[in-house]
Amino acid sequence: MALLEVNNLKIEFPSRHGVAVAVEDVSFEVNPGEILGLVGESGAGKSTIGNAIIDLLSPPGRVAGGDVFLKGEKISSLPASRIRQIRGAEIGFIFQDPMTSLNPLFTVEEQLMETILANLDVTQESAKQKALNMLEQVGIPEPEIRIKQYPHQFSGGMRQRVGIAIALSADPALIIADEPTTALDVSIQDQILQLIRSLCKKRQVGCILVTHDMGVIANITDRVAVMYQGNLVESGTTEQILQRPEHPYTKSLISAVPRADVKLKRFPLVNYIEKASVGFSQIDVSNHWLGQTSASDVSSVAKGEDLLRVEHVNLRFITKNALLAKNRRYIQASDDVSFTVKKGETFGLVGESGSGKSTIARVIAGIYPPESGRIFFADQEISAMSERERRPIRRQIQMVFQNPYSSMNPRMRVQDIIAEPIYFHKLAGSRKEVEMIVGDLLDHVGLGRRAGIKFPHEFSGGQRQRISIARALATRPQLLICDEPTSALDVSVQAQILNLLKDLQDELGLTMLFISHDLPVIRQMCDRVSVMRYGKILEQNETEALFISPQHDYTKNLLALIPHMDHLSREGLMVQQG
Amino acid sequence: MRRGAALLASALLATTLSAGAFAKTLKVAYDADPVSLDLHEQLSGGTLQLSHMVGDPLVRWTQELKFEGRLAERWERIDDRTMRFYLRKGVKFHSGNEFTALDVKWTFNRLRTSPDFKAIFAPFESAKVVDRYTIDLVTNKPYPLLLNVATYVFPLDSKFYTGFDENGKSKDALVKHGNSYASRNFSGTGPFIVTQREQGVKVEFKRYDDYWDKKSPGNVSEIILTPIKEDATRVSALLAGDVDFISPVPPTDYDRLEKSDKVDMVTLDGTRIITFQLNQKRVEAFKNPKVRLAIDYAINNAGIAKKLMKGLGTPAAQHSPKGYMGYSEDIKLRYDLKKAKQLMKEAGYEKGLKVTMMAPNNRYVNDAKIAQAVANMLAKINIQVDLKTMPKAQYWPEFDKRAADIMMLGWHADTEDSANFIEFLAMCPNSETGFGQYNSGNYCNPEVDKLVLQSSEETDLAKRQTLLQKAEKILYDEAAFIPLHWQDLAWAAKKNVQLAPVVNVMNFPYVGDLVVK
Amino acid sequence: MIIFLLKRLLQAVVVMFIISLIGFTIKDSLGDPVREMVGESVSEEEREALREKLGLNDPFIVQYGRFLKGAVQGDLGQSYFYKKPVTDVILSKLPATLELVFGATLIIIFFSVPLGVYCAIKPRSWLTKFIMGASIVGISVPVFLTGIFLMFIFGVILDYLPVFGRGELISVWGPWETGLFTLDGLAHLILPSITLSSLMLPLFIRLIRSEMTEVLHSEYIKFAWAKGLDKYRIWFRLALKNTMLPVITVGGVQIGTMVAYTILTETVFQWPGMGFMFLEAINRSDTPLIIGYLVFVGLIFVITNTLVDLIYGFIDPTIKVAGGK
Repeated sequence: MALLEVNNLKIEFPSRHGVAVAVEDVSFEVNPGEILGLVGESGAGKSTIGNAIIDLLSPPGRVAGGDVFLKGEKISSLPASRIRQIRGAEIGFIFQDPMTSLNPLFTVEEQLMETILANLDVTQESAKQKALNMLEQVGIPEPEIRIKQYPHQFSGGMRQRVGIAIALSADPALIIADEPTTALDVSIQDQILQLIRSLCKKRQVGCILVTHDMGVIANITDRVAVMYQGNLVESGTTEQILQRPEHPYTKSLISAVPRADVKLKRFPLVNYIEKASVGFSQIDVSNHWLGQTSASDVSSVAKGEDLLRVEHVNLRFITKNALLAKNRRYIQASDDVSFTVKKGETFGLVGESGSGKSTIARVIAGIYPPESGRIFFADQEISAMSERERRPIRRQIQMVFQNPYSSMNPRMRVQDIIAEPIYFHKLAGSRKEVEMIVGDLLDHVGLGRRAGIKFPHEFSGGQRQRISIARALATRPQLLICDEPTSALDVSVQAQILNLLKDLQDELGLTMLFISHDLPVIRQMCDRVSVMRYGKILEQNETEALFISPQHDYTKNLLALIPHMDHLSREGLMVQQG
Repeated sequence: MRRGAALLASALLATTLSAGAFAKTLKVAYDADPVSLDLHEQLSGGTLQLSHMVGDPLVRWTQELKFEGRLAERWERIDDRTMRFYLRKGVKFHSGNEFTALDVKWTFNRLRTSPDFKAIFAPFESAKVVDRYTIDLVTNKPYPLLLNVATYVFPLDSKFYTGFDENGKSKDALVKHGNSYASRNFSGTGPFIVTQREQGVKVEFKRYDDYWDKKSPGNVSEIILTPIKEDATRVSALLAGDVDFISPVPPTDYDRLEKSDKVDMVTLDGTRIITFQLNQKRVEAFKNPKVRLAIDYAINNAGIAKKLMKGLGTPAAQHSPKGYMGYSEDIKLRYDLKKAKQLMKEAGYEKGLKVTMMAPNNRYVNDAKIAQAVANMLAKINIQVDLKTMPKAQYWPEFDKRAADIMMLGWHADTEDSANFIEFLAMCPNSETGFGQYNSGNYCNPEVDKLVLQSSEETDLAKRQTLLQKAEKILYDEAAFIPLHWQDLAWAAKKNVQLAPVVNVMNFPYVGDLVVK
Repeated sequence: MIIFLLKRLLQAVVVMFIISLIGFTIKDSLGDPVREMVGESVSEEEREALREKLGLNDPFIVQYGRFLKGAVQGDLGQSYFYKKPVTDVILSKLPATLELVFGATLIIIFFSVPLGVYCAIKPRSWLTKFIMGASIVGISVPVFLTGIFLMFIFGVILDYLPVFGRGELISVWGPWETGLFTLDGLAHLILPSITLSSLMLPLFIRLIRSEMTEVLHSEYIKFAWAKGLDKYRIWFRLALKNTMLPVITVGGVQIGTMVAYTILTETVFQWPGMGFMFLEAINRSDTPLIIGYLVFVGLIFVITNTLVDLIYGFIDPTIKVAGGK
């Protein structure tokens, strides 16, 4: 008998506009000690299934059909009091973001103990002992001290370990892990996945691992179920799915995963998607506004020469303020950072969170002033300029952020958001001209000019990133700083956006500073790359050379931790890329 | 001897009797509390109300506006400039000091230095002590209002105010804005002693055991006076039984209080005239008597008194209320819209006028509403009024600047005499003599001035009456100003408080004589 | 911590300085204080003499300089009406206002928390709809009307409660008198407190409801459900604590501002506190007192903000008040 059996599950979200079916006719099973990967892109319904199993669908979602059996007992449509006994005690849950899934106001001990005491019939004392024991098992050093601390005192990876400890603390038979490593750095991701795997095997606990990441699937799952738009399109053993995918969606999903092993000209698209995005329209740059220069432009640099020079930049942040200088504590965010970016190239900065890569981007953009060191843009020292002098330069350096939504005024229409910098820098004459430019830009990033009258919230994450790229282009920049532009996006959307950036670069001769923690993406995007850690540049080289023969130990380690796609044979899939 | 014993016995009897009837606590809510314990610091209703509680004047007004001796037992005219007062003997101040003519003289002299009172005492030359219990008040010229002014003399305890206080300041110092000894300490002859006082919060009084007027029926032994600024709260406090006696009563609550079976309301025709003044300096048209008359004809005084004032205003066509010397029966209310339009036409202002108007919004009963009503009425004869109302604190500076074409003014004669109205409101403005100080209309008729000045020296009352009535008639005929009504006075109290006998048109109830059942 | 407090102190000084400057600039348009000191029939010369004596004819700079000179020594001038130093007058009125705010705060806490929480956990119940509807009404009815209505019902018709003043007081310390320890004093406190809270209570209910709703949708609450915890524990221990954190910041500041909102309530109930004093001061053109009050209220705002930040830092383990990132 399977540990968990899901039969013909159907989940609906009724609303005023009708009933949306989120999951339809999904069946699968999980055995003790087995890890089932539930994979798909956002909106596929994979997380909804996890929530439905423990009756935690967010309203107004409801199970409209099918059954769920746990150890042979039917647990779908149980009364609230009974399902509560199953939660925690029978089925543990691990959430995606350990930053938000732990209550910031309670100590780790309180959060562990309440779970144990709510589900197991034990004394206060033994619950405490068990809590300590759990922390030790998930590999938290000095558990006696750490257990008294609050979540914010833990790093992201440690926090996720705490989350796992809580999920397992009442000895459940099954755990549901919903994107447990998506929010973590590469080096931590692997540790956490291995931890989950080893605990499952050791304790003979079944696991449903919900993820969008093929790398994760390849790494730890035993079997895979592929979801697409609410349907389960294919399932089988991990090896079978990765090596011999049958469904066209599975095939294209696998092919779209950026590769760390070889550089391709363009990213393969997930071409199974039915509503393919509008192809972007070519612009004759030499005759278009985008190709013109304005009086305030910095004298252009020839292709291949240094456009940006960063020399010995240092920056500290105060972590503990005090009246006396000696009592203050700092974190060195940039430590003697130097590099150059040549006109027309894409320069990569790679490193884990906290490595200082975003800080240096903000220093270049003029958001933070450096404490020491100099920055040259087209041979002008911009770090020594006044705010006024900087203005024309600032226009030519634009940033694209990971989460564009937060930088858009939700009450402004998209066309106004894009037009704003054109007006601000007086880059166009008439109102009519601006309207035309905005329309062209929207066409150009593949949204179509009609998108202009809508508001930001009406768009998906990928579309918003296109808007923010259009806005960045509206100032006719020479340098585009992309800070993790696709980290929040699905593989298929990521491919589209990155291809767009590549095309724009070819066409407009843009120079890019590309920041990412994702090594495969860096390999596909960048001409040269620097590896950062703790505010320092450890290694810098041509991208290909760096990936083939890394010099620094840290780089080697990072490369080794890229999820292995050993099972993955891409032969036969390459055809589709055309 | 026998007589003395009888007196003593009756005094004892009175004390014991009253002791039984006493021990009544009266909770009073006025709209404001007195600003100071120094009776000479500010000439205001609040001060006079306090004066009658803690002090006694030489003479006081009766309800019929006659004089009644208090600390002066009787008085006689010695010559046309001198009045002799025979003082009550055996009266003791709160401090225990005995009351004598010296105290009257001291008080008289202090009043003459008070910025607020000196104007009233200006016609006087001196106070001459004749003997311990006799004093002469002498005026510069024959002065018909000598007794009227004597109602302002509440003899103070001169010994009590002699010397220096703990700050080294003279105890009799009269300070308007400082913390003087006299503003905190009091010794007079009145029925009540202030036992506790917290500015703006409450004043507590207890009856003075040695009060001289043993014949007074008053049986209130303790008073707690609380200022309650908000009209609705004051009325609620009375209806809820938290206080026994309130004043003033807002017109909106008249009906409610009349109908209530828990309280009684007492009203008296008032003596405060509410007027509008038409500024002839600012508006050429106002120089034309026809325009002024037209305005007077256009305004429905009776309607305002009835509707807005809920009947608690007596429509007026002259300054002097009934009972005052200048009052004449044949001055009738004017209201005739047709006539008003006709007059405007005759004056050449058929097409109308545009004027500004200002009025206070917290000085007189319903002041802002009245101004609005008048503005609406003027619109009917094509006079467009740009009305601005404001709190009195801002209104007075504006009034002093004569900042609008039409300004509202209410007036109560400190001397309870017709001449006072005209002197302040209708005589030709003259900064040297001070006449016409409140004449913002700049109306000026030398004949009126002459009549009034004559009346001030005329001691023959019949002649004086003719003079004043004549003056009022001229003002009426020329529509020198626009009279609206006399603001009636209203008090309300619980049924057991016998208010009616102690109230008067001057609005200082003689609480010492108040009987509470 | 020291830096934080020093910064706040400096901020308070700047706020008070600016307020006093504004106050002085507008004071002449607030009316003529001399007019309020004398009877109406007093002549212009007498008034002019008094004005001269009070220094009201001096140039702006001279008057303001005199004020500042006194202010640095803690002397904000002399109230014309009370004939006492402005600081003494304000301090003597402070207890009444603080007690009123205290009373209103208790009412707000006792009602807003349960009602707000109920509305958040039962968003669809008819009672929630009723509470939310009533709270809209509560916000829109003027304080003045609320006061008179309550006074009429409980004072006049039912005759349960006194309608004005503070009732019987006991002296606690120095000029500090309290009505909190006498039955009469407490009875007098009830209606004004309800009236004062009538504006804030609906705001707090709505605030708590929306914060709690947000918290209930958070990941850690979802995690708490997934952990198999009891619903009461989730609602009243976990979610409530997280809800109260932002409520304390917003709410604390609001309660500070309530000191300024007392003006109307105190006027209706003849409550001898600072708000009523201020309104009267305006009516009487008691300019030193008006300016003194404004300066003092500015100080109270800074103090409440500081206290709220301190409390917040105390409750939220992730915040170090030292701040200054």
